[in-house]
Amino acid sequence: MQSENIRADSLPIMESAIDNTLPAVEAVSCERNTCGGIETFVKDTQSTMEKLTILSDAAKYDVACTSSGVDRKGNGKDMGNCLAAGICHSFSADGRCISLLKILLSNECIYDCKYCLNRRSNDVPRATFTPDEVCELTMNFYRRNYIEGLFLSSGIVNNPNYTMELIYATLYKLRNEYRFRGYVHVKGIPGADAMLIQKVGYLADRMSVNLELPTAEGLSRLAPNKHRKNILTPMRQIQNGITQGKQEVAIYRSAPAFVPAGQSTQMIIGATPESDYQVMAVAQGLYDNFQLKRVFYSAYVGVNNDKELPAPSTATPLLREHRLYQADWLLRFYHFRVEELLDEKRPNFNVLLDPKCDWALKHLEQFPVEINRADYHTLLRVPGIGVKSAQRICGARKSGALSFDNLKKLGVVLKRALYFITCNGKMMYRTKLEEDYITRNLLSLHEKLPFDKDGMTYRQLTLFDDSENNVALFG
Amino acid sequence: MEEHVLICEDSIDGILTGIYEAYQYKKDNGIDSHDWMHLAVKEPDIGRLLTCYTKIETNAEKAQKVSRTIKRELGEHTFYDLCLAMVSADAEKADAVYHTVVIGLKYHDRNVFARLGEPAVQKAFACQRGAGNELNHYRQFLRFAELESGILYAKIGARDRILPFLMPHFADRLPADNFVIYDELSGVFGLHPQYKQWYLVNGADFDEDSLVFSKAEAEYSALFTQFCESIAIEARTNPKLQMNMLPLRFRKYMVEFERRANEETLH
Repeated sequence: MQSENIRADSLPIMESAIDNTLPAVEAVSCERNTCGGIETFVKDTQSTMEKLTILSDAAKYDVACTSSGVDRKGNGKDMGNCLAAGICHSFSADGRCISLLKILLSNECIYDCKYCLNRRSNDVPRATFTPDEVCELTMNFYRRNYIEGLFLSSGIVNNPNYTMELIYATLYKLRNEYRFRGYVHVKGIPGADAMLIQKVGYLADRMSVNLELPTAEGLSRLAPNKHRKNILTPMRQIQNGITQGKQEVAIYRSAPAFVPAGQSTQMIIGATPESDYQVMAVAQGLYDNFQLKRVFYSAYVGVNNDKELPAPSTATPLLREHRLYQADWLLRFYHFRVEELLDEKRPNFNVLLDPKCDWALKHLEQFPVEINRADYHTLLRVPGIGVKSAQRICGARKSGALSFDNLKKLGVVLKRALYFITCNGKMMYRTKLEEDYITRNLLSLHEKLPFDKDGMTYRQLTLFDDSENNVALFG
Repeated sequence: MEEHVLICEDSIDGILTGIYEAYQYKKDNGIDSHDWMHLAVKEPDIGRLLTCYTKIETNAEKAQKVSRTIKRELGEHTFYDLCLAMVSADAEKADAVYHTVVIGLKYHDRNVFARLGEPAVQKAFACQRGAGNELNHYRQFLRFAELESGILYAKIGARDRILPFLMPHFADRLPADNFVIYDELSGVFGLHPQYKQWYLVNGADFDEDSLVFSKAEAEYSALFTQFCESIAIEARTNPKLQMNMLPLRFRKYMVEFERRANEETLH
């Protein structure tokens, strides 16, 4: 077995530039590591197909696959443009979108995070892409309209700086040699040098540093090599960079844009015992203080056996994840605050009702709302009225009063909204404005959930289950 | 009172000519309201009582005049939305577009699509939204394959005739590529020569079996198929959600579903 050529003193740039030949048929040239760094044992016979299989499989638990947030027209010469709305190009068997070529540069890792498939102590097949392989794949996939761009993350090879340099070398090549103008989302490696983060930020559209777990205790328990401070430092740096970049672009139009699509992060849900209130409070803090574009919630999928983790047979908390996303939307587009939705006494979302309905039922004194007069923000708070229908209502009522029939055509979900609205002073049917009555009726509607079962974690209790919940249950 | 229906060609120019002729017809025959006038893209199977049908010829000059007026009075943006509505597969689109234009011109409202209280606007809006969704679907799901000559080729089967709206998107994205998009339902080709303006070709002779794909094509389509498989999380498998997001009718044009489709036919 030979080791791949990785020099710790300089950026690893492949000497043999790949012409138009496919990386699939070309074996990666290999030399022994001479600089005393950590040897990465990778078979030189690994084809691009094998590497792609390993490194996309290793990247699949990363949630962010959005290509939104930046509008960039083509320049008439080079390949690629970006649309602010983002484009999904396919949907995998789990129903999640495939927008970007989501891969790790390498799944070698010096860390041993308990929840991660690629942790040091796991015996899994390892692989590392060369920058050229990543570029060739990106260009050829993009040209065929398979993808909207590249999502590049990596395990920690040697040390955070070295890994960030590898990522930088790849992006530099992609942008400057391959002249790619499509979308690039790149992971900031916690603990990497500020200078490197800065340089990468000018090549990427979006950057993200994963928060991994909502609280610092959870992090120190499950990811002993990562520290909250190391995660928040690059996050703050990117935030400052974006603010400064915007000012620069305002003055010099041709100034290079720094992370123009903003930054995001993700948290694993269900691996540690935080409540929904804690999770949402953290998310709100990130939106307020770090101006994040998105916070992603990733329902924990058991891949490792570990005494610190829920048993791998534990069902994935899909319903909880769904409720968190619904609440996240309420924060970002509906002007809600976490304190309105949850509190210390009620720290978790209602599993039976979506957070907005749940809120409305607790605040019946604010209803019913008159459709033809209520302002936009009040309309937004009505269950069954979304951002688009609220905008359409505001536009349409300028030219005449709206009826229930009109509302239906505008996209309002009347079966939910009818308890909370009046049109020209009348309700749609004779209904009571009473919590129990409305709850009963709303529950009989059978909320449409994006998964088959109800996503709740029913499972048989076993005596041999060492998960935290059972320990708590049985003392 | 008698109703009047003008029957125009099913194309953007055809409908625009129809709008011109409808205004002319109303003036010539002294009809007092546009409510008595309708526009249709095909003759009805059974004619209605007390209705007068007139066929009209498409005329580029008249269409030009109408489009100029719409752009000036209602704005470029509204014109774009109206055009999208005009390529919709809905049979009532012509009448909806015509009456939306009438309402827009009457109130001098550049934001006429917001008047969703009006049935005609509602209909035109629905047509526009449907065609816009179809356009977005093909921005997402269109797949190019590389031919031996290096030309990129894609086949689509668009419900609405959105090819003219799709071409600018890819021309902006792939300026250095020669590519062809073939809409098999309307039989129209969109062609884009390297670094040049794209154009449409109607009803060309074409034998799909004669296409020879490049060597790299098989490699990359296999790589992508593999990628789509290994990126899915088994514990979250959810075919229903996948179907919601990516309806089956698109899959026959998509390379990553080809293998599975072939396997299914074998069984």
